[in-house]
Amino acid sequence: MNKELEHSFVTQLEENQNIVHKICRLYTNDSDAHNDLFQEITIQLWRAFPKFRGEAKFSTWMYRVALNTAITLYRKSKRSIQTQDFEAISFKISADPYDDTTEQQLKLMYSAVKNLNDIDKALVFLYLEDKNYKEISETLGITEVNARVKMNRIKEKLRTILNP
Amino acid sequence: MDELEILKKQWQNQEQVLPHLSYNDIYKMLLKKSSSIVKWIFFISIAELLFWTLLSFFVPESSTKFSDDIGLHNILVAVNILNYVVFGCFIFLFYRNYRKISITDSIKHLMQNILSTRKTVKYFVIYNVTMSALLIIGINIYYYLNQDIVFHFMTEDYGITHITQERFMKMFFAIQILFGIVMLGFVLLFYRIVYGILLRRLHKNYKELKKIEI
Repeated sequence: MNKELEHSFVTQLEENQNIVHKICRLYTNDSDAHNDLFQEITIQLWRAFPKFRGEAKFSTWMYRVALNTAITLYRKSKRSIQTQDFEAISFKISADPYDDTTEQQLKLMYSAVKNLNDIDKALVFLYLEDKNYKEISETLGITEVNARVKMNRIKEKLRTILNP
Repeated sequence: MDELEILKKQWQNQEQVLPHLSYNDIYKMLLKKSSSIVKWIFFISIAELLFWTLLSFFVPESSTKFSDDIGLHNILVAVNILNYVVFGCFIFLFYRNYRKISITDSIKHLMQNILSTRKTVKYFVIYNVTMSALLIIGINIYYYLNQDIVFHFMTEDYGITHITQERFMKMFFAIQILFGIVMLGFVLLFYRIVYGILLRRLHKNYKELKKIEI
């Protein structure tokens, strides 16, 4: 039974590992920390797996466990990311020579998202993953209205950074 | 087009640049040990519960004899019984809160459950420190009002001689106060370290989450 459970878990995680990698990429800064967090998320997923009844999709269930681990349970090592304020990033960006290409804009946008605080980052992450506001609000534990309002504010800030 | 929409498209197409782990790589990870803060909090909390519970058992016999001699026996027995009942309640609450911690909860709920488990232990320690402080103050007031008896039994039980009663009582109270301050300092330092290391990030994130709701 245990072997079957292990096999079923590892196969499903292998198929859906991109979700975990994306979260690791957002919440860490180098490959060591990335692997560390990936491992911790795997352990937490495995522990919770016996209670996963297949009511939701495996991937949907993974978002919650993986984000909870990245935000709350994971103990960051010294080399990991430090959150920064938008003001600080905006200063950095305006100091850079402005290059009006999509790629450059995307780079800026990506680094801006990476520098959001842990909670805002989770919100943007779920938005980028094309989750609806109902799912986003349920994962974070806030109301749908508040999730929308907050997301709109983040979008506004991101726009200001890209079009100073 | 909205920049965020462009990023969203790009984001969903990034599969090819993400690392890929094999079945075996993932399987090996199942055998590794977790280093989550919940695990640390659990061990530290158990250590604290044990520390304060065991501490109440380790009262030197000579000290018991002394407190019996000066007529504090019944009061101390009552305090001990009260302590054990309260300890039992705290251990039950801690266990109940700990069981509630579930990784499949929403982010906010998980944080709340971790914080409330920690809070149980925090209140347990506050209770102990307060009780100890009240007991020390109460006993010292009693000693102060009955200095003659204290000095009499001290000389009898511990064989203290070559010292005047006034001088002895001054030293006696000074040691008690110093001991109290050192203990309190130790507990506060411990808490600064525990909270500083383990919960700073959690508190910060919890505040951010609460801010969204205002």
